[in-house]
Amino acid sequence: MKQVVFGLLGTRLDRGSAKTDRWQSWRPTVALCQHEDLLIDRFELLYEPKIADLSNTVAEDIRSISPETDVRLHEVHFRDPWDLEEVYSKLHEFMGNYSFRPEQEKYLANITTGTHVQQICMFLLAESRHLPGQLLQASPPKRKQPGEGTYKVIDLDLSRYDQLAARFALEQQESLSFLKSGIETKNTAFNQLIERIEKVAIHSQAPMLITGPTGAGKSQLARRVYELKQQRRQLDGKFVEVNCATLRGDQATSALFGHVKGAFTGATGAREGLLRAAEGGMLFLDEIGELGLDEQAMLLRAIEEKRFLPVGGDSETGSDFQLIAGTNRDLQSDVQEGRFREDLLSRINLWTFRLPGLAERREDISPNLDYELTQFSATTGSVVRLNKEARTRFLRFAESEQATWQANFRDLNAAITRMATLAAGGRISVELVDEEIERLSQQWKSNDNSNSSSLRELQGVVDAQELDRFDQVALSEVIRVCKASSTLSQAGRKLFAISRLSKAKPNDADRLRKYLARFSLSWDQLQ
Amino acid sequence: MPTNAILINGSQGEGGGQILRSSLALALVTGQSVQIEGIRAGRDKPGLMRQHLTAVRAAVEIGQAEVDGDEIGSQSIRFQPQAIKPGDYKFSVGTAGSATLVLQTVLPALMIAEQPSELILEGGTHNPWSPPYDFLEHAYFPLLRKMGANVTAGLEQYGFYPAGGGRFSVAITPAAELRGLQLEKRGEILQRSATALVANLSRRIAQREIDTAADKLNWAPNCLHVQEVNNSAGPGNIVMIELHSENVREVFTGFGRPGVKAEHVANNAVKQVRDYLATDAPVGPYLADQLLLPLGIAAWKDKQRSQFRTLPLSRHSITHIRILQQLLGIPISVEKEGGVCTVIIGSN
Repeated sequence: MKQVVFGLLGTRLDRGSAKTDRWQSWRPTVALCQHEDLLIDRFELLYEPKIADLSNTVAEDIRSISPETDVRLHEVHFRDPWDLEEVYSKLHEFMGNYSFRPEQEKYLANITTGTHVQQICMFLLAESRHLPGQLLQASPPKRKQPGEGTYKVIDLDLSRYDQLAARFALEQQESLSFLKSGIETKNTAFNQLIERIEKVAIHSQAPMLITGPTGAGKSQLARRVYELKQQRRQLDGKFVEVNCATLRGDQATSALFGHVKGAFTGATGAREGLLRAAEGGMLFLDEIGELGLDEQAMLLRAIEEKRFLPVGGDSETGSDFQLIAGTNRDLQSDVQEGRFREDLLSRINLWTFRLPGLAERREDISPNLDYELTQFSATTGSVVRLNKEARTRFLRFAESEQATWQANFRDLNAAITRMATLAAGGRISVELVDEEIERLSQQWKSNDNSNSSSLRELQGVVDAQELDRFDQVALSEVIRVCKASSTLSQAGRKLFAISRLSKAKPNDADRLRKYLARFSLSWDQLQ
Repeated sequence: MPTNAILINGSQGEGGGQILRSSLALALVTGQSVQIEGIRAGRDKPGLMRQHLTAVRAAVEIGQAEVDGDEIGSQSIRFQPQAIKPGDYKFSVGTAGSATLVLQTVLPALMIAEQPSELILEGGTHNPWSPPYDFLEHAYFPLLRKMGANVTAGLEQYGFYPAGGGRFSVAITPAAELRGLQLEKRGEILQRSATALVANLSRRIAQREIDTAADKLNWAPNCLHVQEVNNSAGPGNIVMIELHSENVREVFTGFGRPGVKAEHVANNAVKQVRDYLATDAPVGPYLADQLLLPLGIAAWKDKQRSQFRTLPLSRHSITHIRILQQLLGIPISVEKEGGVCTVIIGSN
């Protein structure tokens, strides 16, 4: 392997002191060729035209001191060697035109000479592998003694530095833990998801889409991603969160994009809008599938060009924000049905993360239980504990198939809040746990049967599982009316109030009795 | 592939580059393969440095050898010479490393080659820790000529640390048979001279040095010289004191360095002269070290017995003797008497 060094000729240092013979001064470029243990086969030396004389002297001296070294001089003119853009582009061009042969040659970039900006550019080019080598830093000998001094080869491959690698691993561990709110989750799929989100959060500014059932923690995760970016100083604006389901019509447009004074009736003042509020920060649009098509179009433009037009305004305004969208809908099918813009979806789903529901990660219920208890204690200021027996009992239920966790963390949070609030002396008893299990079971069972709470009427009267949903609804209303009436006839009159008008001889009571009989029910049973 | 290479422990004794150079020189002379391990093992920067690598590559060229491990920092090399190829060569040493040490590696083989050779050597010519050019020309080469090999040299350009860039040529007419040397007595001192030399430095430095030497040696003014040279790449300063006796010539050198007073440089050379003159031994310590190799070869190749009297041997020379014994299989004995050692190389 041949050793090749790239360096810029130093205007001052490589000239040496004017007072003494130049060999008595430490001249970094020459000194690098004087080391007993560094054999430089080729030195690619860049110099400015105004120091062409110096370049020849230095090349001559290197030939004398290091006959093994082939010095190649390259004239490069910098109008301003402190101008980052110019220096970088010229060096970048030089490296771009250089034919590197990393299989046969090793490369070192000397960052000892040149302006600081030139040194930084050499560093950047090595770091980005435009110059596929390591850095070389020379230092003068101690106490102004003559001689070659010392040199250091700096490898930019961080993974080779154990301590740094350990520190970065720790930092990554910290951000993972941060994204999980410090909850020691055990679910492998979830932990992998969080690792991926951490990488994307730190390295990308592109929009993210978080999908998943209601209560899976989309909003909380979005906020955590924001806080992580803020910690890493990638964002300095605010976190702005809005549920698109709460935005309707004109109000939606104005809420998002703002309006000017007098834009519409009632617009007595100008409104900034949420996109402006998120300038330099992060906008979390939950339930993005609920956004109207007009707003979708405006949002797309705002993401792509960072420009948009406030309602009633005649000039565009701008906002540079990062976007996280949340949804529990299947946006792909919304696109097919024409309810969601395809171009917007493809813009926001570069990074799509599906948060699993709680039922899909039951092993995480236990750590989340602790987290919720701690949160409760933190907000109320009173410590609440769960004894071992009560905890086991709760978890046995919570981790079983019986617990469907339909609203996911919202359910868990509600359950813990209820138990903690009712806990006497800050201790959640077995009884409280049993009561809560019963409450949750009932809640989910009735939800399973129908989404209407009116079906409660059927409980204890008939077995709803045996009935068509059509009958469930009708019968529960019939029962409700019966319970509210004093006689069978009165109930019949209420129930058949319309159809009885067209009958010559309405027999409401009989019709009702026969209807109830179909379900083996009698009037007396319902009283 | 010749198999049984002789294994040499490169870290024995003073453990420096000398073991490497002597081993290579003797491998070339004998045609024997060598495997050197632990090269410069105890040093700050262990293994082959650039000047050693130049010596290895010079030996490879002269001996048309195959080599493994010839890279910077390598602590192990395997060297398999094929046949000595005399001729014209140029070897350049970087880092102002000593060109005379490179010469030392290849010279013995070329002294017994079939044809004459001419070498041009570039790099350092007057370095501390290695024989300076003037020592070779005035002390060492005359003895080689006495042994039958006509070795002559000419200096073109001085090469001092740190600039290097020196240059000298060496012409070698080999000897069919080498003669041994008997250096028992110094004989009468025929000529003396002390020279303070400066290159690209103030003449005053040399003047102060020669004043100091004159004061200490009490020699006649016509023996004292101040010399300014301009055929040097960089600055440099040395004090050389030469004693030309009936049977031997000796050269002692003090090296100027920044931060070291001129008086100190002169005193250093004077002290070596006084030590030498304190006994009647004809051979000084540095010359003893240089003579071991050619005398060893004369004993091995032409069964010549040599004997010389010298000052107590340096650790360097003792290591050197071990290498000669190992690679040439010749007897070398050292007898001490008072402050003088008698070294006997080869047997009758």
